[in-house]
This record gives sequence, structure tokens and C-alpha cells, in this order.
Amino acid sequence: MTEAAARDPGFLSIAAAEKHFGPATVLDGVDLAVGRGEFVSLLGPSGCGKTTLLRIVAGLVRPDRGRVVLDGQELTRLPPHRRDIGVVFQNYALFPHLDVAGNVAFGLKARGADPAAIAATVARNLALVQMSAYADRSVKALSGGQQQRVAVARALAVGPKLLLLDEPFSALDRKLREAMQIDLKRILREVGTTAIFVTHDQDEALAMSDRIAVMARGRIEQLATPAEIYARPATPFALGFVGLSTRIPGTVQAAEAGLLTIATALGPIRARGHFLPGSAVLVGVRPERIALGSGAGDATGPAGPAGHNAIRAALADAIFKGARVQLLFAAPEGAEVQVEASSLPAGAAPGALLDLTWAVDDTLVYPAAEAGPQDLEAVA
Amino acid sequence: MMALRRIDPVGLLVLPAVLYLGLVYGLPLLNLLARALVIDGVPSVAGFVKFFSDPFDWIVIGNTLRIAVLVTLLSLAIGFPTALALARARGAAQALILVAIILPLSVGVVVKAFAWQIVLRRDGVVSQALVALGLWDEPQRLLFTEAGLVIGAANVFVPFMILPIYSVVKLIDPRLGEAAATLGAAPGYRFFRVFLPLALPGIVSGIAFVFSMAVSMYVVPNLLIGDRFQTLATLTGRSFLLMRNEQLGSTTAVVLLVLAVSVVVASSALSRRFGGQS
Ligand SMILES: Nc1ncnc2c1ncn2[C@@H]1O[C@H](COP(=O)(O)OP(=O)(O)OP(=O)(O)O)[C@@H](O)[C@H]1O
Ligand SMILES: [Mg+2]
Repeated sequence: MTEAAARDPGFLSIAAAEKHFGPATVLDGVDLAVGRGEFVSLLGPSGCGKTTLLRIVAGLVRPDRGRVVLDGQELTRLPPHRRDIGVVFQNYALFPHLDVAGNVAFGLKARGADPAAIAATVARNLALVQMSAYADRSVKALSGGQQQRVAVARALAVGPKLLLLDEPFSALDRKLREAMQIDLKRILREVGTTAIFVTHDQDEALAMSDRIAVMARGRIEQLATPAEIYARPATPFALGFVGLSTRIPGTVQAAEAGLLTIATALGPIRARGHFLPGSAVLVGVRPERIALGSGAGDATGPAGPAGHNAIRAALADAIFKGARVQLLFAAPEGAEVQVEASSLPAGAAPGALLDLTWAVDDTLVYPAAEAGPQDLEAVA
Repeated sequence: MMALRRIDPVGLLVLPAVLYLGLVYGLPLLNLLARALVIDGVPSVAGFVKFFSDPFDWIVIGNTLRIAVLVTLLSLAIGFPTALALARARGAAQALILVAIILPLSVGVVVKAFAWQIVLRRDGVVSQALVALGLWDEPQRLLFTEAGLVIGAANVFVPFMILPIYSVVKLIDPRLGEAAATLGAAPGYRFFRVFLPLALPGIVSGIAFVFSMAVSMYVVPNLLIGDRFQTLATLTGRSFLLMRNEQLGSTTAVVLLVLAVSVVVASSALSRRFGGQS
């Protein structure tokens, strides 16, 4: 969180927002607080309610229940044109009958700003998004990335208290998307605008956000910094949705002073947590936390250093990813075992048995019931 | 050969239409022009001079334009909101409105005009409704009045206002209105600065359709207002059919044609000038 955000953590606060479309519950009581100047991403699978939440904040959809407060002002009953919230729509929604400058000037004219001030503000905002050379162009003659820049300039020109962006980069190719991510961060830093950014691309969320709200089925599962979400996902859904992970179901055998021993199809695994013996749990490990050893010659079974877990598994597939290799292992029903390594270990042919070791402290445990089949489907 | 090769083969597809229009429309039109401009075998504008120097003919021109403008305005006033409702409606409601608009087109103008004769009588629905609302003190006859003609003609032509507006409005992205709202534009500002400019091409073509039909209508005024009231179209008809004055008929027909064509050309030029999308 930035300094300003820490000073004013409830700059935007959404409380218990609920929305139903007919019998479908689209938002199921969402609470979200965003600090001043903060950049928060809403990350979640398609249909989880991200756009609906954004539209409620903008005033384009009326929530069935709940409140929206921005900068101390209750917004819930205010129409969108009195909210001071800029929106960059997924398809940009530029006005086709106006040129680039006309689009950027629209909000200022609607607010009755004086012509000289409008011209100066338009010029400043076009320069901000590096589109000054295109001021007189028709918006229909722009590429996707250029339209995107104009949409950002148009939204920022009126100096909104809050900027909402709904998957603004989803129509751009990968290279352009990465360039735009960096650009948008620079622009928002320069302007100091608070922003909520919707995406279903976890890399985008991890790269850009001060904090990420992981959403699933109309709820926020976790709201935390990217590093925290990656290292300590609060739910099996967050674990599965953000980043790669090894996931193995099991049953707690013993629990002593916060140290659990869990029986799994791949052998006992130890972890820190508080569960009663007999509880069904899901064990999770991030793939880069796992060290690989050759299990071929050792007949006594896998063994790691003290304070480590060790399992032995058969290599099923190796996916080359440039700087790293992703290794997939044969795993029983309901489990997924994968490791990321900097290179393929010697003798690692498909079918080879390898030892996987990782620190007990890196082992994540969740109640098994939380991992519904829908979650795993959504991840796939 | 070089010139021939440059012709786009797809362009040849318009050939049947060009031949057809040329034969059944272009040739008779030339014939009409010739009759208007040739008197006793000698080229002459005497017919037009005579026409424009008769005050009665100016009244006819005035009648024609006034009725056409009023019919167009009334059609616009009724058709524009209907087109918006149609564009916003979904599913069964939309189908129902479309049927209600298109079905009457298949009834035919004569039947509709007779129906309007009943509606516009002294004891007709309109008169009774206006009395019931307290707007009129006693029942009045609207039939055979200009107001009755305008109301009846607008009813006949309003689908040609609704359909072009609808076809443009339904393509306007609703996100544009939302984007304007989030930029601080109040509903009225959004309507005039976003919606209207984008709907303009449809409005202009609706106006061009209805005006050109209203300026040249013949059956409707015959049935709803009668002989006492002449427009260029009815006068043309009378000249040919009743008075057997081909010279006068050709002259009025040419005047009418010039009026109608110039309105259509001007409106499409306007549409190009102000229309956002096209
Ligand atoms: N106006 C509406 N009427 C009915 N259902 C709706 C409406 N708007 C959204 N929904 C439903 O609400 C759910 C959430 O939609 P929403 O657009 O918020 O999802 P999202 O998270 O933005 O998904 P995506 O990543 O695909 O854009 C979906 O199942 C959608 O079908
Ligand atoms: Mg969405």
C-alpha cells in the first residue's frame, strides 16, 4: 500500500454489495476498501461478477443491497454523471462522431468548462498518453492500442476521484499489452489517481497491483498484496487461480503443537496449521519451492533434510517455458503435482521416479470442503 | 479495351436495375420533360411562365409544401419515439411492435384512407376524444380538412419514418451513453450530444422518405380532402385525366419532381455533413 493509501484506507468503501439477476446471485455480499492513490485489481474467472461490481461503483447498475462510499460521500443513490468516477470500458466506447480531441474534451464540455481551459487540458492529457499527434484523427481510424490510450485520456481529462478499468487490455496482443501495462502504471503514478482494474489475467494483476482482490462466485476470497496472495493464498481457490501449485488431498493423522502430519496417497506430509485429527484437508505447495532429487538408487524411500517434506513421484511431462521448465508428475485422482525448475534434471525422462522435497514451512493446508469441483473447473 | 478492363465486374450487377429504370422510368420522364418544354413542335418555356404567373398555381405549390412538411413533422414526432421504443424492446415485445408497424403497409392506401374517413367524421373517434378531453366544445368534422389530411397521411407514411430511424438507432452502442454519463454528462446532454448525432442519418433518411412520398401523394388527398384542395400531384392528375391538358400536367409534374428531388438531395447532403456514422 502506498503512503497516501495508508493515510486514507477507506477512500472508496463498498459494503455488503449484493446483486441478483433473476434467480442468479451475481454478487453475494462484497466488502472492499480501497485507499487513496491505490491500484487494486479485481481478479477472477469469467462470470464471477467483476464487471457487475465495477458497474455498481460507477452507478451504471443499482445494487440490490449494500453501500458505496467515495471520499466520505455516500454514492449509492447518486446517478453516474454525478459520481466523479471515470470508466475505461472493455470495448473503449469512444464516440464515433467525434475526433480524438473531441472525445477527450467531451467530459470537460459536459461540465461547462471554459474553452481555453478545455484546450489546455485536452492537450495535456493527449500528451500524457502520447497521442498528441493524433488529435484531429477520427477515432475510427485508430488501432486498438491507440483507442485504448484515447479512452484513458478521456476518462482522466475530467480529473475523476476514481478510475475504473474493465479489462482494458484484453483485446491487445501480448507485446502491446505488456507495454500498455507499464504505460498505465506510469500515467496513474503521474496523475495520482486511485484505480480499480478488472482482469482475469493473473500475470497482469500480479505485475500491476498494489493489492489484488481475488473474486470467485460473487465473493472476494482474498484481498492482499500480490506477494502475500502468492505466498499465502487464503483459500484453495486463490491458491489454484493465482500462480501454479501442487495440490494433494489428504487426511490429518496427528496434530501436535501446530504441527500436522497428513496422510496422502503420495506418503505422509507435514505442515503447520490447526486441524483436528481425521479432518480432510488439501495440501498445497508453490512449484518453485520444491527441490528435485533423483529417487532412482535409493530403496528406502524419499528423504529430505530436517524440517522438510519429501515425496517420490513419476515424471509425466516436461513443458519448456524459456527460462524455466515446468515438470508435471503422475498424481492420484484429485491431486496435481508440479515443479518448476531452472533446467531439466539429468535422467529425467517421462516415467522416471524423482524425489520432491520442500520445507514444512512452505506447506499450505486448507480444509478440503472448501475446494469445490467448480473451483478446480474455473482454474482449468 | 483499357477502359473496359477497369470496370469492376461486381459493378455489372447494377445493370439490370439500370436497364429497368431507364426503360420504365427514364424514358417516360424524358417524354414528360419534352412535353413540358416543347409547344407545337417548338422548344419553349412558355408553359412554365404561364404556370408561375398564375396565383392559383402558387397556392397549389404552397398547399403541396405545407402538407408535405406537416405530414413529415407529424410522422417524425410519432415515429422517432416509436423507433426508440422498438430499438430498446426485446423479444416478443419487439416482434409485436414490428408487426404493428409493417402489417398496415400490406393493407393498402385506399383501404386505410377509407378507414380514416370513418375515424375523422364528425361523430368519429378523434372528434369524440377531443370533446371528451374538453379540448373541443362540440364535435367537429375533421374529414375534408387540412388537419384531417395531415393526420391521415402521417398514419400512412409513419412506418417509413420509423424503420430507417430504428435501423440506425439499434446499432448505437449503449456503452456510449454510459461512457458519456461517467464523464459527467446529464441525460439531456447525452441525448443531444451523443444519441442525436448518431441517430441523425436515420432521421434524415426517414424525413427524405416521408417528405418525398407526402409531397407526391395522390390517393390520400383525393379520399380525405377532395377536389376543393389541390396539390401539385392532384393537379397533375386532374390535368391529364379530367382536363386533358397534357401541357399543364407535364409542367406541374416537372415542378413536383424538381421539388422532391431537391429535398432528397439536400437532406442526404445534410446527413453527410452532420452525420457521425454512415
Ligand atoms: N444485465 C444482466 N442480466 C442478467 N445477467 C447478468 C447481467 N449482467 C451480468 N449478468 C450475469 O452475471 C454474472 C456476472 O457477470 P459479470 O459481467 O459481472 O462477470 P465478469 O466477472 O465481468 O465476467 P467476464 O470476465 O467474462 O467479463 C454472469 O453470469 C452474467 O451472465
Ligand atoms: Mg466482465
